[in-house]
Amino acid sequence: MKPGLKVGLIGGGTMGTAHAEAYRVIENAELVAVADLRPERAQAIATKTGATVRTASEIIADPNIDVIDVCLPTYLHRDYVVAAAEAGKHVFCEKPMARSLKEAEEMKAACEKAGVKLGIGHVVRFFPEYVRAYEKVKAGAVGDVAVVRCTRGGFPLPTAWQDWYANYELSGGLVLDMIIHDFDFLRWLLGPAERVFAKSTRGREYNRLEYALVTIKFKSGAIAHVEGSWVNGGGFHTRFEIAGSNGLIDYDSRKANPITVTVASKDGVPGVPVPASAWVENPYTTEIRNFINVLDGKEGTIVDGNEGYESLRIALAALESIETGKPVSL
Amino acid sequence: MKVGMISFAHLHATSYASALLEMPWVEFVGIYDEDNDRAKEWASKLGVKHFEKLDDLLKTDIEAVIICSTNADHCHYTVKAAEAGKHVLVEKPIATTIEDANKMIETCKKNNVKLQIAFPVRYMPAVIEAKNIVQSGKLGRILAIKGTNHGSMPGGWFTEKDKAGGGAVMDHTVHVVDIIRWMFGFEFKEVYAEYDRLIHDIETDDCGLLTMELTNNVFATLDTSWNRPTAYPTWGDVTMTIVGTNGVLELDAYGQKFDIYNNDVKKAQWEHWGGNSDYFLVKDFLEACKNDTPVKVTGEDGLRALEVALAAYESGKKKMPVKIEDIR
Repeated sequence: MKPGLKVGLIGGGTMGTAHAEAYRVIENAELVAVADLRPERAQAIATKTGATVRTASEIIADPNIDVIDVCLPTYLHRDYVVAAAEAGKHVFCEKPMARSLKEAEEMKAACEKAGVKLGIGHVVRFFPEYVRAYEKVKAGAVGDVAVVRCTRGGFPLPTAWQDWYANYELSGGLVLDMIIHDFDFLRWLLGPAERVFAKSTRGREYNRLEYALVTIKFKSGAIAHVEGSWVNGGGFHTRFEIAGSNGLIDYDSRKANPITVTVASKDGVPGVPVPASAWVENPYTTEIRNFINVLDGKEGTIVDGNEGYESLRIALAALESIETGKPVSL
Repeated sequence: MKVGMISFAHLHATSYASALLEMPWVEFVGIYDEDNDRAKEWASKLGVKHFEKLDDLLKTDIEAVIICSTNADHCHYTVKAAEAGKHVLVEKPIATTIEDANKMIETCKKNNVKLQIAFPVRYMPAVIEAKNIVQSGKLGRILAIKGTNHGSMPGGWFTEKDKAGGGAVMDHTVHVVDIIRWMFGFEFKEVYAEYDRLIHDIETDDCGLLTMELTNNVFATLDTSWNRPTAYPTWGDVTMTIVGTNGVLELDAYGQKFDIYNNDVKKAQWEHWGGNSDYFLVKDFLEACKNDTPVKVTGEDGLRALEVALAAYESGKKKMPVKIEDIR
C-alpha cells in the first residue's frame, strides 16, 4: 500500500479512466476503490490499479477514504459531491461543475460547511500550451490583450454511457460540456466576463450535430470569440490566437505535432498519417497531482468551486443567449 | 479603351493603376486627385497625365474611371463621373451612408453607366474554387460560417471617422459579407457587434467581432480587427470556415504562400503567390464596359455589404442585435 491520501473514484468512463491512471503515477495518493454502474468498467480500472470495486455509497461511507473523485455525467455531480462533502471527504469533480447555478451553489455550500476542498477538473489550465501562453501573456509578450480567438472540436459528438452527451437537459450540449474549457481559460487569462452573445445550431439542426460561436466581452475591455464544433471537421483540434497592443500569439494544434506516423497496411495500401503527441506528463495527471498536493500542503491553489462556478456562469449565459437571441450580462 | 483614375487616397490605387498599364487594349489616360501633389507624383511615376481639375479629366473621351478616394468622397466623385457619362469602378465600401450609396446607384442608373464595387476577393482563385465546392453540394446544407478579415492598422484617413465612416468594422466587414452573399446567395437579416478601440491610439474602433443571422437559418461571425502587429508576417487575412451537414470547408484565401526569412527584415514574411486579384477585378470591370455586359459586383451588392457594417455600429451603440431592415 502506498503512503498518502486514499481516493475513491465514482464513475469509470473516459475521464474516470484518465484520473485512475493519474493516481497510479503520483506518489502521494492511492486509488483504493472504484464504482461504476457498468461492472466491467469498474473491474477494468480495478485490475489496472489494484483498487477494489465497490458501490458509490460504500465508497462515500468508508471512513478510510479521504478523497472522492467524481467522474459522473454532469447532471449527477451535485448529488454525489454533496454526499461526499457531508461524509467529510475532499472532492474532485469533473467539469462542467454542474448543470445549473443552483446545483453548483449547493455543491460549494456543502463543501464549505464540511470544511473540505472542492476541485473542478478544468484540465486545460494544465495543458502545457495553454499554461505557456498564459505565462507569456502575463510576462507581456503581446502587451495588453485585445482580441482572443479560441477553437475546440472538429469531431462528431462522443457517444458515452446512455448517450448522455446527446441529451441537452443532462449535458448542456457542446457549449456547457466542451467549450467551457475555453471560457475557463479566457477567464483565467482575462478576469471576469461582462457580456456574452452566442449562436448555435441547437434547435436549428438535429441534436448530434452541434456547432457554436460565442462572443464574450470582458471587464478588462478585451473581446473573445470561441468556436466549438461537434461536426466532423478532420478530427479533434484546438486553436488559440491572442492579439494585443504589442504582439500576437498564434497556436493551432494541427500545426504543432512533433510526430506524424504514416504506415502502409499489410497489403501495401498507403496509410493515413496519424499525429502522435509526446507529453512530459499527461495534463490529467498534472491536474490530479495539483489537487492532491494542495490537500497535502505542497501546492497553494486549485481550480476550486468558485472558479468552476464562474466558468459555469459564462457557459449558462451563452446557452441563454442562444435561446433568446439577445446578449446576456453577467 | 481609355480609362482615368480619380484620387490615390486609398492605397489600392497603385495596384489598379499597374493593372491598367498591363492591359494592352487599355489606355490609362491620367489621374485627378484632390491632392494635386499626389496626382503629379503618381502621374509622373506611372507615365500618365495629371489633371488639376476633375472636370478636365471628365471632359476627355475616357470611358471609365476608377475611384480610390476616401470612403466619404466616393459619392461625390461617382456622381460627377456618372453625370459625365463615365462608367465607375469604386473602392469598397461603396460609401459611408445608405443615402450616399443610394444616390450613387440611382445616378449611375439614370446616366446609363455601369457601377462596380471593388471587391477583389471574389476574383481570388482560392475563393472561386471554394465557391465551386460549396455549389457542388458536397458540404450538405450550410449551417454556419465563421469568417475573419484581420488587418494591420492602416493609419491615415482610415482612422478618421468623417472620412472613413468608421474604423476596423467599416473597413473589414464588407469583403466577407460580400463573399458570403455571392458564394451562397444568403442575405443578412440581423447583426450583433462587440467592437472597441483596444490597440492603437486612434479615433475609431480597431477591433470588432460581428455575429450575424442570415437567411436559410444560417448564422455567421466575422472578426474585423486591425490586430496584426507590425511583427506579423503579412498585412492580414481573409478566412472562412464553412460548416455544412455533411462536412466542413476551411478557406484561407491567402493560404497559397511561402515563408521568407531575411536578415535585413528581422521578421518572417509570407509571400502570397495565389494570383493578383486586383488585376482580374479591373480587367473584368473594363470588359463589362467594353462588351456592355452586366458588372459582376453591382452597386446594390456594395450597399448590402455597407448595411451590415452600419448595423454593426448601431448594435454596438444599443448593445443589442439590430435588424438590417431597421436601418434601411
